[in-house]
Amino acid sequence: MEKVFEIYIRTTPERLWEAITDSEIRSKYQFGSRFSSDFTPGSRFEMSHPGAPGPLGEGENLEVDPPRRLVQSMVALWSDEVKSEGTSRVTWEIEPVGDSCRLTVTHDELRDGANNELYGGWPMILSGLKTWLETGELLTTPGSLMYGSPADLSSG
Amino acid sequence: MDAVFKALADPTRRRLLDELFREDGQTLSALEERFTMTRFGVMKHLKQLEEADLVVTKRRGREKLHFLNPVPIRLVHDRWVSKYAEPWAAALSDLKNRLE
Repeated sequence: MEKVFEIYIRTTPERLWEAITDSEIRSKYQFGSRFSSDFTPGSRFEMSHPGAPGPLGEGENLEVDPPRRLVQSMVALWSDEVKSEGTSRVTWEIEPVGDSCRLTVTHDELRDGANNELYGGWPMILSGLKTWLETGELLTTPGSLMYGSPADLSSG
Repeated sequence: MDAVFKALADPTRRRLLDELFREDGQTLSALEERFTMTRFGVMKHLKQLEEADLVVTKRRGREKLHFLNPVPIRLVHDRWVSKYAEPWAAALSDLKNRLE
């Protein structure tokens, strides 16, 4: 199964790439999650959250081509249900369009009928990413409240 | 955002989105089978959905696949619904809980 998420953001490819790969920035729009990785081809990454008991996900950076394309394998670890789904693949593609960028996140190699927790968060994440890049503000979504409020995160 | 509201204002286009929600990544021919209108009619509606970014297409060999992009609906929600509707929805569901 394949899911596609597309958004237009008024920014440069370089700033967008930084927002995707910088753990500090990423935590501002991906529900407070940290991404530890050096983002070199073949390197590993781990997704964690200070409020969660264990790692939330892990995977490999299969293709790293800044500031255009990032392909990652991904194993979700935040519950037994999502763990049983195994490995899927996430492809980030950045394309400059006028004064903006088109960002396409393709989440594929998902099992047919896969648990929608695996990919259901992308619209909230991308909406938060757009808000942060265009206004510098944090966007509160149900996802950002999962492990504590944004205020708790910015102080911690 | 005008394009999103305009695209969603038509029942056929909402049905097309429902159809892609049911099964993502369909071709025009597969979608056409589910509608009584002409291929041209379905194509016209799909084009409007694409212009609103509610449908994203990908080429796969000789086929063009249509995917439902839920992000613009989330943007509408974050811009409008969360601001106006959620305090009401929360209050009403609280009231419902207390009455029950």
